[in-house]
Amino acid sequence: MPRFFFHIHNGHGDTPDDVGTDLPDQSAARNLAIDSIRSMVSEDARRGVIDLAARIDVEDGAENVLVGVEFTEAFQLHLPDRQEPYRP
Amino acid sequence: MIEKLLLKLRKRDEISREEERALVDTIAEVEDVPAKQTVIKRGEALNRSVLLIDGLMCRYKDLRNGRRQITALHVAGDFLDLHGFTLKHLDHDVMSLSPSRVAYASHERLTRLTESYPHLTRLLWFSTNLDAAIHREWELSLGQRSGPAKAAHLICELYTRLEIVGLVREHDFELPLNQTELGECLGLTVVHTNRVLKELRERGLVQFRGGTVSIHDVDALKNFAGFDPTYLYLASYSR
Repeated sequence: MPRFFFHIHNGHGDTPDDVGTDLPDQSAARNLAIDSIRSMVSEDARRGVIDLAARIDVEDGAENVLVGVEFTEAFQLHLPDRQEPYRP
Repeated sequence: MIEKLLLKLRKRDEISREEERALVDTIAEVEDVPAKQTVIKRGEALNRSVLLIDGLMCRYKDLRNGRRQITALHVAGDFLDLHGFTLKHLDHDVMSLSPSRVAYASHERLTRLTESYPHLTRLLWFSTNLDAAIHREWELSLGQRSGPAKAAHLICELYTRLEIVGLVREHDFELPLNQTELGECLGLTVVHTNRVLKELRERGLVQFRGGTVSIHDVDALKNFAGFDPTYLYLASYSR
């Protein structure tokens, strides 16, 4: 199985992947990226922060970006029709 | 051969020479197991229990969609399936994470041991109770702790368990599993696990690299994890 490297890029710094993960194909790599984004954003949400200004670049071992997944692609967003932040 | 088991049990109670001999006599056949091999399959009939002599193994359960939860890690000196002695089959699989060495105790011999040595019986009972206590702590982690806290907590637990059996050097120990498998212990994907490890590294607490854990600041790591070793029952009592 080919090895894929999942590098996270966001506003506060990058999380490079220097280990890699063996997966059957690019479609499995994209699924793992989506799954991982949902998992990380869920954890951040429990701390009261949702930051979707980030992406995962999936590379092969030669630093070619095979798939780029924006965090926003992992979600259907339903936001209220108002500009000001919601304050309970 | 059973030195690690003796270290683990003698941490919690005294074991006489005669009891030691009885334990040695209960353990027969030794076998080397390659890494990533399922040694006990869910549902299969069991007539022996497996003692881990050397290496790292896990208990795990899979969902139909392929997602895996590692429910326990086992280090040298642990019985992998002493509970199988009374259950006769398991509801989970057991797999080697690293190349490992195991020894087998037939249920027939265990029956004789329990009939002749009630104190050893209680100590083996203690060790399955300890497994259950560790499961409860993992439940707490999986349900309530943040990703970085549960990773830190697991590292504190392994540090404590491995220290008892003499497998910690300074503040380093071997943890021969990959990030996917570590994630399967924590309920996180491999990518999320990488982010969690980066946070622990950047906080100056611990580094996990190439199968080795290096703890930079043990007290700070325990504090960050909220680690209280009471659930590992480290005191020696007449049991």
